[in-house]
Amino acid sequence: MTLSQRERDRYARQILFFGEEGQEKLKRSHIFIAGAGGLGSPVAIYLAVAGIGKITLVDKDVVDQSNLNRQILHFDQDIGRKKIESAREKLERINPDITINAIAATIDESNADTLIADADGIVDAMDNFPTRYLLNTISQKKGIPLFHGAIRGMYGQATTILPGSTPCFACIFPRAPPAEVFPVVGVTPGIIGSIQATEVIKYLTGSGDLLTNRLFVWDGLAAKAEEIIVEKNPCCEVCCEIKPKRTRKKVKP
Amino acid sequence: MKVKVRFFARFRELLGTDVITEPAPGTSLADLIRQIAEKKREGYDAIFDKQGKFREFVIVMRNAKRVDAGVADTILIEDGDDIAVFPPVAGG
Repeated sequence: MTLSQRERDRYARQILFFGEEGQEKLKRSHIFIAGAGGLGSPVAIYLAVAGIGKITLVDKDVVDQSNLNRQILHFDQDIGRKKIESAREKLERINPDITINAIAATIDESNADTLIADADGIVDAMDNFPTRYLLNTISQKKGIPLFHGAIRGMYGQATTILPGSTPCFACIFPRAPPAEVFPVVGVTPGIIGSIQATEVIKYLTGSGDLLTNRLFVWDGLAAKAEEIIVEKNPCCEVCCEIKPKRTRKKVKP
Repeated sequence: MKVKVRFFARFRELLGTDVITEPAPGTSLADLIRQIAEKKREGYDAIFDKQGKFREFVIVMRNAKRVDAGVADTILIEDGDDIAVFPPVAGG
């Protein structure tokens, strides 16, 4: 899958960084983004501008006025529209050279496997732990990396989960924090979503060191980032039986 | 004996940033955190349940290694320990 001249021009500045080969890898990749809200917006925008060939975006909600302080894919005139329709329109305008597969659905046990299909990566841009546990189960079962992010107020966390080689989401978070209407300032999902998108791009192009075996913890109030070393739980009900399927994306011929 | 206890995110808001403390010899990890958290009711309640056990989602680290909060009562604090107490966040 070679790049067109238009693509070479569009991506010239990042081709300087990871070469045409890296750009081609992005072009033939498919990333699944669960959620088109606070985290899903910056993740989708940055992956779209980076030239990920196919982005599947799933969200069940309609744009509400109270979303607009953080969900930067949606504009004031989108209030009342399905988020995925609003998102698709923006993303296609941002980058018409990629495929946006936007689906209005609630991700649940009945459809998660089919929705995620053969994606090269799953981005966790959800707002609840039960769906995160489900994404983790599918990630582990299919051997697809899971790029986790979560936020509250000015705090956030992120980690990259490679099935078979890193702790899974359930190893790191065996129990969910209580559900709540969480406070959030838009810049926080902006920061955490950008980290998730960075991880996806690094993973797909084989660049740098991934945020694996570490939980990145951001405290915007203190302007401090720290990390917590995380380890596999040998008794983890989700991943203890999983053998490594792939630790790094293979270069497709 | 000197140890450092670091609270993260909401716990930091409630209980302050890095706490340097000098616990009595033989203090357990759980008791150390209880003693600090007790200074502010809301902070204590955020970390511990009514039975005084760690809430099940709370992550406790000692010297960068995860500690099973269920056995934190049996782990004795040692000089120089660096303890971190972290609440995962869930929003998106």
